[in-house]
Amino acid sequence: MDAILHTMGLGKRFGHFAANSDINFSVRPGELRAVIGPNGAGKTTFFNLLSGLVEATDGEIFFKGDRITQIAGPRRVARGIAKAFQTANVYPEESVFQNCRLAALAHTQGLFSLEVFRRSTRLGGVDRIAEEALELVDLAAFAQTRAGDLSHGDKKRLDIAIALATRPQILLLDEPVAGMSIEEVHKTDRLIRGLAKRMTVLLIEHDMNMIMGISDSITVLHQGKILAEGTPAEIRANPRVQEAYLGGHTEGEL
Amino acid sequence: MKDLRFYALTALGLVLFPFAIHPIGGYGGLATQILIVGIASIGFNLLLGYAGLLSYGQAMFYGLGAYVALLTVSRFFPQHPNFWLAIALAVTFVSLVAVAVGMLVVRLYGIYFALLTLAFAQMSYFLVFKVFDNLTQGDDGLQGIASPPLALGPWSIDLTAPLPALALGPFGDLSDIHYWYVFVAIVTFGVIAFSRTLTRSQFGEVLGAIRENEERSRFVGFDIARYKLAAFVIAGALTGLSGALRGLYETSAAPDILTVDTSGNFVIYTVVGGVQTLFGPLLGTGLVMYLQNVISAKTDAWRLIEGVIFVLVIVFLPGGVLGTLEKRRAGRRNIVTNALRTTPAEALPAAGEATR
Repeated sequence: MDAILHTMGLGKRFGHFAANSDINFSVRPGELRAVIGPNGAGKTTFFNLLSGLVEATDGEIFFKGDRITQIAGPRRVARGIAKAFQTANVYPEESVFQNCRLAALAHTQGLFSLEVFRRSTRLGGVDRIAEEALELVDLAAFAQTRAGDLSHGDKKRLDIAIALATRPQILLLDEPVAGMSIEEVHKTDRLIRGLAKRMTVLLIEHDMNMIMGISDSITVLHQGKILAEGTPAEIRANPRVQEAYLGGHTEGEL
Repeated sequence: MKDLRFYALTALGLVLFPFAIHPIGGYGGLATQILIVGIASIGFNLLLGYAGLLSYGQAMFYGLGAYVALLTVSRFFPQHPNFWLAIALAVTFVSLVAVAVGMLVVRLYGIYFALLTLAFAQMSYFLVFKVFDNLTQGDDGLQGIASPPLALGPWSIDLTAPLPALALGPFGDLSDIHYWYVFVAIVTFGVIAFSRTLTRSQFGEVLGAIRENEERSRFVGFDIARYKLAAFVIAGALTGLSGALRGLYETSAAPDILTVDTSGNFVIYTVVGGVQTLFGPLLGTGLVMYLQNVISAKTDAWRLIEGVIFVLVIVFLPGGVLGTLEKRRAGRRNIVTNALRTTPAEALPAAGEATR
């Protein structure tokens, strides 16, 4: 059992609609894995199942060998599974630094602390963790800027920095470069490559150039199921993947 | 140093308060009532302003606090009526109720949270009024239960005794106020200090983060429900303390203190004074209760006038009296710092964001 994260028969039904079904997925520690698929393939649902945003209706999820299927989102973060959101999800009224500080605080104090008398500033390591996270995403220069005032690309990188400040072992990135300019995409591409040296990274992305360039391996979802898995070269050459993307999802019924 | 100044000014304000309202028709008893109710408003503000939870059931904690304190004196320990015990039992009981109710409501949002807290308050009203009526005297309520003296080491202080006579010119006389006011002012001072400390503490910081962005807070690893439950119980305990003081001060409690009216009052007091401000809830309580006292002595239309005041504040002073003042001061400061901080290049995407 080398996988840091794996699922067995994982599924999510919304009423009669199966958004995900029978997903047997596994990632090795340190791997940079992309999850791709046409629109509606169930990628985001799959990530939501992994992060604990939605509850699985079938199957199991294991993190470092422990069953975490029933464990709530915040506890998964505490164990080392962090996520950045598809739409940058930050604290708009706080400074960029404070955004990361809050995440670092959660990492340091744990899920809950009834410390109603003392300030968090007494916790020495918190600032350091926040600074490191900001340096990693190259936002240290904006530390005192109000997060709501950041540009779209910077906001998305701040969201990643928040996730990093929880000191994760595995990072889930949901379309990290969506809506970014070409320069921003390059910058984020470099950032993700750098992060992959430190932790396991799972990402959903539509930018094929980027995915083919940076991924160690790729999982293709189609109609809520795993269609193919392999190296970028294998996925590129896979006729079923080409069909899924080009033929649309009615192909199988014809 | 700044803390010291803050606490010195707060203490000074509490000392001057009953005399300062004398020229405009206020009196010691009203000042005492305002502070007692103000404690519950401060608690309510922690809930609404800092945890973002609008409870319509605070009357439950207030009323139960009053009943338990009075019953402790008259029924549970009639042989040894003890002031501190009455307060302690009331606050403990109310806190436990808040834990039980809180566990059922803190996962709900907005109107559902408000309605469920209201439903629990209505149930507690019914329980006090009908089910436990041989204990609570039902409709008649508890009456004429003299507060035990305040035992303080070797001393025993009769809180209903007036202070020594000393003429203060237009501000009345020192003997206009009773020891009750002194005691309640000290408790209020403690509650203000607690509220200030809490909102600046690690707990308060996380509570603010949850209010600002609950989903992100969940996914940095905070246990949202436990934070909300803690805020709910702290607010409940303060409301229970307020109710206990009210019961002992008035020497009576009737079921009407458990009604929606009472719950609504805390909302009005806090919103009028200023949500998320330290002194807003106290100021709002004082302002509305003072007007209530002065106007209701002259006309029956008090409820109408109260409604008009509430509407005017909502429309013209969003953020409440104190909240609007603070925002105006902060706004002037922000214009300057924004101008210094934002270069045109940075300002552009921000402007695009605003029009999106």
